Amino acid sequence: MLVEGTMRTFTALLTSWIAIVNSSVAAADPALPGNHPLTQVQAGQVLISELRCAACHQGVPRDSLTEKTAPDLSEVGARIAPEYLQRFLASPSAAHPGTTMPDLLMAKPEAERDRIAEALTHFLIAQSNASFSSENTEQLDLAWGKTLFHSIGCVVCHGPQEAISDGATAKVANDEHGDEDEEGHDDVKQPRAANRHFRPTAIPLGQVPAKYSVRSLGDFLFQPLRVRKSGRMPDLKLTRAESLAIAGYLVGNSAQQVKSLSANDSLVSLGRKYFQDLNCAACHGLPGIPAAPSIGALKKGNVTRGCLSPADRRSPRFQLEDAQRNAIAAALEETPLDDTDQVAAAKTLTAFNCLACHVRDDAGGVHPSHNVFFVSSDQKLGDDGRIPPPLTLVGAKLQPAWLKKVLFDGESVRHYMETRMPQYGSTNLQHLPAIFARIDRMPGREMKIPSPESRSEIEREREKQHRAAGRELLGDKGLNCIACHDFNGKNSLVNQGIELLTSYQRLQPVWFDAYLRNPGAFRPRTIMPTAWPNGVATHKTILEGDTDKQIEAIWYYLSLGTSAADPPGLRAESTKLVVEDRAKTYRGRSRVAGYRGIAVGLPEKLNYAFNAETGTLSAIWRGDFIGVNWSGQGSGDFQPASDPITLAQDVSFVQLADEEASWPRMPVMTKQARTNPNPLYPKNVGYQFRGYFLDGSSIPSFMYRCGTIEITDRSVAVGTEEQLRLQRIFQFDSPEPQTVWFRALTGDVRQESEQVFRSGRLRLTVPRAELKRKPISEEAAQFELLLRLPIPEGKSTLELLYEAVSK
Amino acid sequence: MKQFRSNRLQLLCLLILSTIGAVGVLRGEEVGDRWGTEEREREYYPIVNTPMPKDTIIEAGAFAVLPDGRIAVGTRHGEIFLIDGIDASKPLPSFHRFASGLDEIFGLAWKDNAFRVTQSCELTRVSDSDGDGLADRFETISDAWGYANYHEYAFGSKPDADGNQYVALGLSESYYSHALNRGFIMKVTSAGTSTAFATGLRSPGGIGFDEHGALFYVESQGPWNCSCSLKAVSASSFHGHPASFHWYPYSPELGPEPEMPNSGGRIAAERNRVRQLVPYAVVFPYIRMGRSITAFSVNRTQGKFGPFEDQLFLGDYTLSILMRATTEKINDVWQGACYPFREGLSTGILNVEFTPGGKLLCGGTNRGWPVRGIKPFALERVEWSGKMPFEINRVTITPDGFHVTFTKAVDRATGCSTDSYRISAFTHPYHAGYGGPEIERHKAAVQAVALAEDGLSARLTLEKLDRGFVYEFDLGGLRSRDEEELLHRNAYYTVNEIPARQ
Repeated sequence: MLVEGTMRTFTALLTSWIAIVNSSVAAADPALPGNHPLTQVQAGQVLISELRCAACHQGVPRDSLTEKTAPDLSEVGARIAPEYLQRFLASPSAAHPGTTMPDLLMAKPEAERDRIAEALTHFLIAQSNASFSSENTEQLDLAWGKTLFHSIGCVVCHGPQEAISDGATAKVANDEHGDEDEEGHDDVKQPRAANRHFRPTAIPLGQVPAKYSVRSLGDFLFQPLRVRKSGRMPDLKLTRAESLAIAGYLVGNSAQQVKSLSANDSLVSLGRKYFQDLNCAACHGLPGIPAAPSIGALKKGNVTRGCLSPADRRSPRFQLEDAQRNAIAAALEETPLDDTDQVAAAKTLTAFNCLACHVRDDAGGVHPSHNVFFVSSDQKLGDDGRIPPPLTLVGAKLQPAWLKKVLFDGESVRHYMETRMPQYGSTNLQHLPAIFARIDRMPGREMKIPSPESRSEIEREREKQHRAAGRELLGDKGLNCIACHDFNGKNSLVNQGIELLTSYQRLQPVWFDAYLRNPGAFRPRTIMPTAWPNGVATHKTILEGDTDKQIEAIWYYLSLGTSAADPPGLRAESTKLVVEDRAKTYRGRSRVAGYRGIAVGLPEKLNYAFNAETGTLSAIWRGDFIGVNWSGQGSGDFQPASDPITLAQDVSFVQLADEEASWPRMPVMTKQARTNPNPLYPKNVGYQFRGYFLDGSSIPSFMYRCGTIEITDRSVAVGTEEQLRLQRIFQFDSPEPQTVWFRALTGDVRQESEQVFRSGRLRLTVPRAELKRKPISEEAAQFELLLRLPIPEGKSTLELLYEAVSK
Repeated sequence: MKQFRSNRLQLLCLLILSTIGAVGVLRGEEVGDRWGTEEREREYYPIVNTPMPKDTIIEAGAFAVLPDGRIAVGTRHGEIFLIDGIDASKPLPSFHRFASGLDEIFGLAWKDNAFRVTQSCELTRVSDSDGDGLADRFETISDAWGYANYHEYAFGSKPDADGNQYVALGLSESYYSHALNRGFIMKVTSAGTSTAFATGLRSPGGIGFDEHGALFYVESQGPWNCSCSLKAVSASSFHGHPASFHWYPYSPELGPEPEMPNSGGRIAAERNRVRQLVPYAVVFPYIRMGRSITAFSVNRTQGKFGPFEDQLFLGDYTLSILMRATTEKINDVWQGACYPFREGLSTGILNVEFTPGGKLLCGGTNRGWPVRGIKPFALERVEWSGKMPFEINRVTITPDGFHVTFTKAVDRATGCSTDSYRISAFTHPYHAGYGGPEIERHKAAVQAVALAEDGLSARLTLEKLDRGFVYEFDLGGLRSRDEEELLHRNAYYTVNEIPARQ
């Protein structure tokens, strides 16, 4: 935190503009910061708008720029520490070097100044429902806050708060740090921002620890436009947690305990009077306090006296640099004209500091000292992955609707770029898309994409060719665009570039055509290669190597959107479900469990499938759980992650009429006869699934009914790693004693001992019961093992052990 | 959802036929095009993206509003998330995964401290018995239908006043009925008793109750359906696709099997012969009003969502758009109108729900079928900006024409001129082919217009009205009193019945 003594020495250089301006050396007019394209007169007009001269003065011409507004004071008492507020009111620029708030008390003696500031503070605090508290109960991740501050874009306007060591930052590309004069290569018109000798913007934040609490700054950062509606401090799309982390980092953990201030009634009414007398309402609206009538028109002569004059001691007082006064004077001298679209765009991009990240024509660009703070999660993408895209010809590049989504809806396709495109509020920038659309004209070739619905045979043939060629060109045997770009939600193989299917919705065809022919003309150091050097196709076989047609085919293919088939080389993988310390139950169709299938994975890495349509344990496997198909139309069908032992899927419990009766089997549908011939099976043999419940370890117990018997069916893993077995326990609840048959096993069923049977790789231990091993198919030596179970009235249990045998 | 396989071919037929059949029609150039209103719409109804937790895939299939104001979303991945904070001005809601491992959720309701979840395999009661915030009981309420083939989706309604729920079952592979009751709507009582309720469905996209509390389901374009439509469901009603007739013997409660419909007729005539056949209540003309419309929600926000209180809102999967619909019962038959509302959503819309704050939450996915929206999945919130759009509010029928209401006063010069009301009518063949043309298109001359004194409604007298036709309104010539053009110039009213003169 800065001490007042130091600040007094700052009196000469004030306002955020000056702090910035001071640093502006060569680029355009020095009245404004950064590498902007404005003339002195235009810079003066921007200052008149940013400083809100029209709030008090008559006759200020309307500018194309939306005016900067003062902060909303309705909750200022909760947001800002009272002690700071009073100090700030007494001398704004001393408390906050760089503020655009004029000093309204300069003409008063110091003691009176403090009295007025105190009364105003009481008055303002009384406007808020809540009061300021520096208490913070949240755990703060200051390191994260620091990383965020130095990566998402705060640095661009506020400067780095400290030197950042390696970790958070990427390698800085190439030679941009240098002071080289010109990049002399080729005839491509390139932005040369990096070589300009302008100094970076740095709106000071030294006052922050005294001004805010972590909580109040966090709230402000979360939604800055609620307080500062004109968007000069934009919304960086922070989450609550991110806002708090940055606030914690800026305010510091050791923020001093601030004494709370309760508003004193007499001071409040005195403050109200000062608020009116000083015409604070000209800039800060508060209910019931109208602004005073405007005073005299702004004229050139004003600059040497009144609120802009360096010599005048009267209030209010803006402290400006000579360059700024000169610019304002120059602007006042000029006959006001409506801004052309070019000028309006330039003013907007300057006032909102867009040019600190973006290049447009010869203006703007990342300052070399900020370069290191532009970071990508995929370094292989080079500068394209970390430096925001150029705005040159942006009105010809982006579809108008998409531009609005980016500006106003927070839309973004560069997920790898850590620096965020902030939101400035749609009312503040709503003029911009139309201006870009008017001034950014790009001559070029209109692509004529084929129409699949055409009535002409030739056109439909062309459509087929284009579709096939587009697919081939994108794929790994063609230009392999999918190596660096995601396609239809599937990750690319090498780099994580922009999803290709966004192209048709985002981009204009003329721009796309020109960009593909020579990406380097748009982005000098792009890693995007050209497939048509000097307009000549490298792929000679596709569409006879015709460049126009190839680009058209790609554009057409992208226009198909999600209906475009995947280009060759793209892999669709199933989603692996992993079981950790709790069991997992997953419903989905599967060849091992039918459409009403359920897969159960146990933490011991023993898994089974249950066919809920028939109440049957239908597969067992060890190791990983399942892969699920959620790609394309995939309805979540599952496959065991390793080769399963499969069992019959017919109904398991039946009350057979007599022991010779054949087991009721699942109906069979064939390609020729696909309608289910026995659609009520197995409900017509007494089965009804009733669901399942999970215990504390998430192990499911299946519930179903066989006639009047309620059955609960639960399986757990038992035994050692070497002899892991599935212990299946049935609980029966019957209203009367009755007999039911259980079909335990089918296939090449062999008896190993009295209670142990084997079929294929499965060993099954059954309880003592009346057993029946019946042939089910003479030729193939297939058997079924049936258990006759006398079920008593009330509750009873039965246990089976399933073991997967490796040989 | 629907089957898109042969759309392109069918579309071609449609185009050729419509060009031959309808001379001087407005169509043709609009095929697949956008409405072109997105940029103006955003002033009135901005779309706000709802960020989701990293690595979480929420392909919303169904929503439910909980008593505590949270929103539950059921997904195609079979999960249920509880969303807290959906209405915040800058939404960064928390997502709590309440349940997982279910099979594609297209129906979600909250009743008696539990969810009632329609998943492909069954209607299930899902609850948390030990209060740890995670579902642990999954009780089958009904699985009274076959589930054994590709594309057999199930869509569930909310419970009605008596606790009954209705489950709409799509056909097998979207063309056949190989498994039990595919193509039916099942009625499931709160006690879990299931009976067959209605038949003849093709590929439903949602089911629920309209602004009058009447049951409707959403049907997709395809065989026996030349356009998507809203269909009014009543006991034993038949909805046009005969593939499910062979299950009638298993459900005597439906009564006798209907007469086999004749392919190639008109629905207005066929419904005289096939007495259970219920005509499409609201036809959504194919492509310009969606290619695969999905589940609807009724606006009961008491003005928080703007001027369209008590109207149905629904999305389209393919075109990533939102539309409105209104219904009315004439001579005991439901019919009504649909209206464009908002385009430019980011993904294929599968379902929508009004939040407690009066915003419309829209969700879905673009996975598997062609979708205009480019995001694999998204939750977006459409909200009213507070600025009144100039829109056709509602079209209703009168004995000799239509009554049209507006959201803002229409100026007298344009509002009193019959030239400002361009109305044409078309019908569809009722046939087994996939999709089909708009035929017998003709101009429906407006003989007289009476603009209300307040400019907020107009009574149109037409030369004649025909049953079985869709009346297409183009009111692009109207201006509001503050000289605005209509945000959307079109509306489409399906005439099944004409009210008698009093």
